[in-house]
Amino acid sequence: MDYSNSERCVMKFIDRNFVRRDVLQLGSLFALGLGTADLLNLSKIARADEVGLRLKPRSKSCILIWLDGGPSHLETFDLKPDAPIEVRGPLESISTSIPGVHLSESLPEMAKMIEKFAIIRSMTSPLGEHNFGTHYLMTGYKPTPVLEYPTLGGVASHLSRSQTVLPQNLAIPDFQVGGGNLSGAGYLPSNHAPFSISGDPAKPDFQVEDLELAQGLDSARLLRRQRYVHQLSELNSFGGGSKNSFSDLDRSVELVSSPTAREAFQIDQESPKTRQKYGPRTIGQSCLLARRLIERGATFVTVNNRGWDTHNDLITRLKDGYTGAKKPVGLIPSLDLALSGLVNDLDERGLLEQTLVVVMGEFGRTPKLNSAGGRDHWPRVFSVALAGGGIRAAQLIGASDATGESPADRPVTPSDLAATIYTLLGIDPQLELKTTDGRPVRLTPHDAQVIQELVG
Amino acid sequence: MFRKTVRNARDYEFTWSLNSFILNRWSFPVLFLLVTAASSLFADDQTLIDFDTEIVPMLTKAGCNSGACHGAAAGRGEFYLSLYGSRPDFDHTSIAHRFEGRRVNLSKPESSLLLLKSTETIEHGGGTRFDLDSHEVKLISTWIAQGAQRHQLRILKSFEAQPQKQVLNKVRSKIPLSAIAEFSDQSSRDVTHLTVFTAEDSSAVEIDSVTRAAKVLRPGQHVVIARFLDVVVPIVLILSADSEQLDLTNLQRENFIDEQIYQLLEVLRIPPSPPAGEAEFLRRIHLDLTGRLPNSAQIVSYQNDKSQEKRKRFINSLLESEEFNDYWTYEFSKLLRIRSQPQDSVGAKTYHAWLRRELANGTSFAAIAKTLLTATGDSHEVGPANFFRTVGGPREQAEFVSELFMGSRLRCANCHDHPLDRWSQDDYHGLAAIFAGVKSGREISYITGAEVVHPATGEAAIPRIPGEQFLESLSDGRDDFANWLTSDQNKYFAKAIVNRIWKRLMGRGLVEPVDDLRTTNPATHPVLLQLLADDFVKHDFNLRHTIQRIVSSAAYARSSQTLPQNQTDLQYYSHAIGKPFEPEVLADAIADATGIPVRFGAASQDLRAIQLFDSKITSPELDRLGRCSREESCESSHATIGGLQLMLHFINGELLNLRITSTDGRLAKLLGGGKSDSEILEDIYLSTFSRAPKQAEVSYWENELSQINRTQERRELLQDLFWSILTSEEFRTNH
Repeated sequence: MDYSNSERCVMKFIDRNFVRRDVLQLGSLFALGLGTADLLNLSKIARADEVGLRLKPRSKSCILIWLDGGPSHLETFDLKPDAPIEVRGPLESISTSIPGVHLSESLPEMAKMIEKFAIIRSMTSPLGEHNFGTHYLMTGYKPTPVLEYPTLGGVASHLSRSQTVLPQNLAIPDFQVGGGNLSGAGYLPSNHAPFSISGDPAKPDFQVEDLELAQGLDSARLLRRQRYVHQLSELNSFGGGSKNSFSDLDRSVELVSSPTAREAFQIDQESPKTRQKYGPRTIGQSCLLARRLIERGATFVTVNNRGWDTHNDLITRLKDGYTGAKKPVGLIPSLDLALSGLVNDLDERGLLEQTLVVVMGEFGRTPKLNSAGGRDHWPRVFSVALAGGGIRAAQLIGASDATGESPADRPVTPSDLAATIYTLLGIDPQLELKTTDGRPVRLTPHDAQVIQELVG
Repeated sequence: MFRKTVRNARDYEFTWSLNSFILNRWSFPVLFLLVTAASSLFADDQTLIDFDTEIVPMLTKAGCNSGACHGAAAGRGEFYLSLYGSRPDFDHTSIAHRFEGRRVNLSKPESSLLLLKSTETIEHGGGTRFDLDSHEVKLISTWIAQGAQRHQLRILKSFEAQPQKQVLNKVRSKIPLSAIAEFSDQSSRDVTHLTVFTAEDSSAVEIDSVTRAAKVLRPGQHVVIARFLDVVVPIVLILSADSEQLDLTNLQRENFIDEQIYQLLEVLRIPPSPPAGEAEFLRRIHLDLTGRLPNSAQIVSYQNDKSQEKRKRFINSLLESEEFNDYWTYEFSKLLRIRSQPQDSVGAKTYHAWLRRELANGTSFAAIAKTLLTATGDSHEVGPANFFRTVGGPREQAEFVSELFMGSRLRCANCHDHPLDRWSQDDYHGLAAIFAGVKSGREISYITGAEVVHPATGEAAIPRIPGEQFLESLSDGRDDFANWLTSDQNKYFAKAIVNRIWKRLMGRGLVEPVDDLRTTNPATHPVLLQLLADDFVKHDFNLRHTIQRIVSSAAYARSSQTLPQNQTDLQYYSHAIGKPFEPEVLADAIADATGIPVRFGAASQDLRAIQLFDSKITSPELDRLGRCSREESCESSHATIGGLQLMLHFINGELLNLRITSTDGRLAKLLGGGKSDSEILEDIYLSTFSRAPKQAEVSYWENELSQINRTQERRELLQDLFWSILTSEEFRTNH
C-alpha cells in the first residue's frame, strides 16, 4: 500500500456484537419505562473512550446502484462515436457540462451535472460469468471455494457505528444479484446480510410488510416472547450456533418497537414533487427510499436494478423500453432520472458530501455487437460512476482503448475499487476481520490499491 | 535457406528500429551480452529444446497464458495464447508465425519481440515476467536460435507431485514440494521448477516461491494444486490438532463408513462426540427419511421398545413407508427442478407422479437417469419427457446434465478449456451437440442433423461423450451418452449422486460444492466417497440401499452436542451437523405442531407442502419461508429471504400468530379439553421437540404460570410459550 499514514485509517471499530449487548438490555429498559433515546445515550457514554481513536470518515454511508447483469459501458459511460458501426452501436454520444466529456444520449440529465461525478473508464477483471463477476465487484475478492467473502455492505454493516435501529445493510427491492448466489454476509454473522425490502417502492400500495405489531400482540407480550426464546435455549443448552437467530430476533424486536424505523420506509411521506424528481419507475423510487434510509442512519443501501444482461436487442432494452416507444423509457433513461434525481436531492439536502453513490455492475459488454443486436459479457474493460461521499468529482479516471476492448490507461481492478470505497467510508482496507473459525482475513487482497485520484 | 535469409532481412529492419528505440535504456546492452553469450553456448548444442514440454510450461508458470492475460479468449494486445497452454499447436503458431513472425528473430534471438516484451526491455502491459539473466530467457533464446520449431519430441505421459498426501504434527514446519513428469520418449524429468503450486486457501498454507516449500499455518486438511502443462493434481497436507494422540480403535464401527471417519479423526486428533440419545436419534432419522416430525405415538412406542434390533427395524420400516416416497420424491424433484411451465402444469404433474412411482418401486438410479436422458413423447403423457423442458437449448442442457449426473461444471468449458478440470471445449460443445437434436415444447422429439456451433472452429461441433470419444453415428447420440454415463465403470455418475445423498443426511458433502467434483477439489474423505460409490454400483444403483448404509453408521448417529475439542469442526463428522429445515419441511412441521395446515393455491388442503408437484403454486407462506423456485439449481442458492425478514414475519405475520390462536388449533383444543398445565406442556414439547420437557423446563414454566390468575392470561402465556418454541432453533433444526 502506498498511501500515506495520514490517509491510513487508524480508527478502531466497535464490533457489532458490542452493540448487540446493548440491545439485549433493551427489553429490561423498556420495562423500566426508558425510551430508545436514553438507551442510545447510555451506549454513547460506554463508547466515549473509543472516540479519540477514530478518524473522520469522508462518507457516512453508501448507496450502491447495482446494474445487475452487466451494463454495457459502450452505451452508458464510455461511448466510441468514432469507432466502426459494429463497435459504436446504435446510441449517439452527447456532450456534457464539462467540455470534452461525452456520455450516452440516454443520459441527458446526468450530462447536465457531470461535474458532480467521477467516472472510471478502465475497470478491468478476468471474470466474465455473472456469479463470479458479481462476487468480485461486490466483495473485492475473486470467489474461491474455501471461503465466502462478505460484500462491501456486509462489512460496512459489521463495522458501522451508526446508532439507528434500522438495519445497517439494506437492499431494495431485494438482493438477487448475479444469479442469487451471494448472501452478502460472507463469513460474517448472517445478520449483516442485506435486509430486503421485498416490495416495489414505485407501486402505490408499497409498504414493508410485518413492521406493525400483529393484532392482539402488545409490546409487553412481544418482550415476553423474546425472553422465552432466550430462556428455552438456556434451559435445554441446545447447540452452540444460536447466536445468529437470536440477533435476528433481537433486531426484529428492536425494529418493530421503533416508530422512527417504521417511518423510514414510508415513502408516501415524500412530496409528489420530490417523488417526481427520481422518475416514476422502480429504480427511481428505490433511490428515493434509499435516501430516506441513509438520512435516518442506515449505512449501506443497495438499489438492485435487474435486466442489464443485454445479449439481444440492446436498443429496445437499454433505450426504448418497449418496441415503438415514443419517449425512451428503457433501462438507461430510467437510470438517468433516478441517478440525477438522487444526486441533486442529496446535494440540496446537504447530504451529498457524506453519502457515497456508486453505480456499477459485474462487467461490461463485448466491443462488437453480436448477430442478435446485443452484446455479450466483457469483463476486460468496463466503467463505474461515483458521486458524493467526499470524492474528488468532475474527473475521468483511466480510459479504454479505441474500441472499448481493453484498458488503454490506468487499469483499476475491483479490488482497487473496494479498497477505495472502504477508505471513503472510513474503513481501513487492510483491516483484518476474523472468520468463524478464527482466522484473520484482510478486507481487501494484498494487491488492492486505493484510487488516489478519487480520495486524494 | 534462401527464404530464411529474406525473412531475416526484414526482421533486421524491424529490430533496427526497435534497437534505436531502446538503446538509451541501460538494460539493452546487458540483455544483448547475456543472450549472445547464451546463444553462443547453446547454439551448437545438439539437444533440441521442445516447445510443447519446455517452453509452454514456462509461459504457464510466468502467467503469460492465464485468463487475465494472453490466455483470455480475446488474447491481449493482439497476442493470443491458449488458456494455460492447453493447445500448444495454437501457441506455437501464435509465437512463431503470427504478427508477421516478428515475435521471434531467428538470427538475433535476443531481439525477438517475445523476449523484449517478457523482460520488459520494451514496454509490456504485463510487466517483467522474466529477468534478463534468468534461466527462462536463456532457454527461450536457445530455442529460437535452434529455429523456433515445435519439434514435438515427446508427449506428457504422467505427472506426479510430491508429496501426494502428508500428515504433519507441527505448525509451520517446512514441506518441500516437487514434481516429476514422464514422457513418451521414456524420459523422466524433474519439473518442479516448471510446476505452478497454488494453495487453495492461502491463509492456511504458505508456499515459498523460491524454495517451493509449503508451510501449514492452521490445523486441518488443506489442498495445494500443482499444475504442469494441462495437468493439475492435488497435494493434501494435514496438520493435526495440537493435542494428545487419539486412539479410537475401541469405538463401535457399524460399517465401512465409520472406519474411514475414525481414521481421519485420529490423524487430526479430533475426538468424536458420544452417540445421540434415543429421542434425538428418533427425531433425526424420522425427519431425514420422511421430512416430518415423529408423532407422539411413535415416540412413545419407540421409547418403550427395549429390543436389541429396534433401531434397525425402525429404519427399515421408515424406508418402506409412503412418507419416505413422498419426501424423497420432493428431494429429487428439487434436484430435477420439477416445476410447471407458463400456463401448463399438466407436464409437471405427470413428471412428478412418474418420479414418485419410480422411487416407490425402488427403480435403480441408473435406469431413472437413462429413461430421463433418452425420453421422447408428449410431456403431458410421458413424465420423463419433461426432463427436456427444464432448461432451454442444447448448451444449457449439457450444463444441466453434467451438473446433475456427473457433478461436474462443464459450463466452464463453454468459452475455454476448463482450467482446473479435464474438460475441453470439444467436450462441452460435443455434449451440447448430442442434445442439439432434441426438439422441445409440449411434444419432445429427436431429429437428426441438428447442430451447435463450436466457437473455436466456427463449424458444427462433433457430438462427443465428454472426456472420451467423438460419436460417428448419425443416430440419437443420447443413447450412447446414457449408456456411457450409467455403466458400472463410469467415474462420475455414482459419486455425484452418493455425495448428494451424503450431504442431505450428514449436513455436508464429502465434496463441496456437490456439483464440482474434480481431482483438484478432492473429497475430505476420498476413500469413503469411492467406497460409497462402489457400494452403490454393486447394489444396482439402489438409492434406498445407500441411504440405509449412511443412516446405519455410527457417524450418522452421533450427538450434535459438541465437545470443547471438536466444536470448530464442520467437515470431519466428529459430531452431527444441525441441518436447518428445508422451507417446505418447516411449513409442514409448523402445520403439524399447530394443527393448522399450510396454505397454497387452490390445491386440496389435505396435501402437505412436500407433496406439491409444482414449486410455482401460489403460496405466500412458502415464499416467506424461502422455498426454491427451481428455475435454477436449488443446491447453491442461499435463501435470500429469511433472517430478519422471516423473523419479522414470525413476530407480526399470520404464519405463527394465526395458528397459535386459531380455535381449531392444537393449543385451543388442549385448553378447551380442560388439560392441565403439565399435560399441555408435555403435548407441545412432544409435538415440536419430539421429547418430554426436562425437569428444569417444567419448573421454569410452572413458575411463570403460577404468577398469573385469569384464564385469559393463562391462554396468552401459553400462546407466547408456544410461539417461542416454534421460533427456537431447536424446533427449526434437524439436529
